[in-house]
Amino acid sequence: MLTNRVKELRARFNLTQSGLAENVGVTRQTIVSLEKGSYTPSLLLAMNIAEVFDMPIERIFSKEEKKK
Amino acid sequence: MSMYITVFLRIMLLLSFSVMVFDFLRVEQLFIQMDRGYIDGFEVFITRWPGVIFIIIAILFVIINIVQFILVRRNKHSILNAFLAAEYDVSDERAVQITHKAVSNAFVFILVYSFFIIGSYMFIPNYFVDYIWYPLFTTASIPIVGLLTYLISFKVLQHK
Repeated sequence: MLTNRVKELRARFNLTQSGLAENVGVTRQTIVSLEKGSYTPSLLLAMNIAEVFDMPIERIFSKEEKKK
Repeated sequence: MSMYITVFLRIMLLLSFSVMVFDFLRVEQLFIQMDRGYIDGFEVFITRWPGVIFIIIAILFVIINIVQFILVRRNKHSILNAFLAAEYDVSDERAVQITHKAVSNAFVFILVYSFFIIGSYMFIPNYFVDYIWYPLFTTASIPIVGLLTYLISFKVLQHK
């Protein structure tokens, strides 16, 4: 399972969901489900998000083992 | 473009076309019966509204397809190579992924549904004579059921 800090970083960078969506080339709904953790982004989208926040991907996305 | 509109139009297109074909088959069947000497003559009333609806919906559907294609091309986030039908949402990578899942669900549902439809012909063996509508409308129901499964699956996955 992939967890992310998109919501936290978006707030820190003072970006709206629509703004971030526009920057990375997806719809707002995709950002919503990404923040909820119900969508695993493609590598390209993850790289685009990392570019917007100017951070390496691994500081935004991290792998988490599924709880049994 | 709302997926509800495109799915509704596609279903109406299939239904109106089926009714048109049904009318044609009904008359053909009466001619065959007369030819074989089962009946001396017949009277038939053909309704025009399925044909009118079919033409209107076909024109609307072509227009919507063109508009949809233009919108997809204009939207810089769209994944153009995934666009195959107006029902497909290709607005971004998640929409394409959901479309793929919904299409898979519809495909499996069609496989199961067709199995039962084919089996149901066993119970109506004289459908060519008395129930001419049965094979026609059950065949038309296959893509309709597929479309509805696709729509429901898509909307459920989209709101997850």
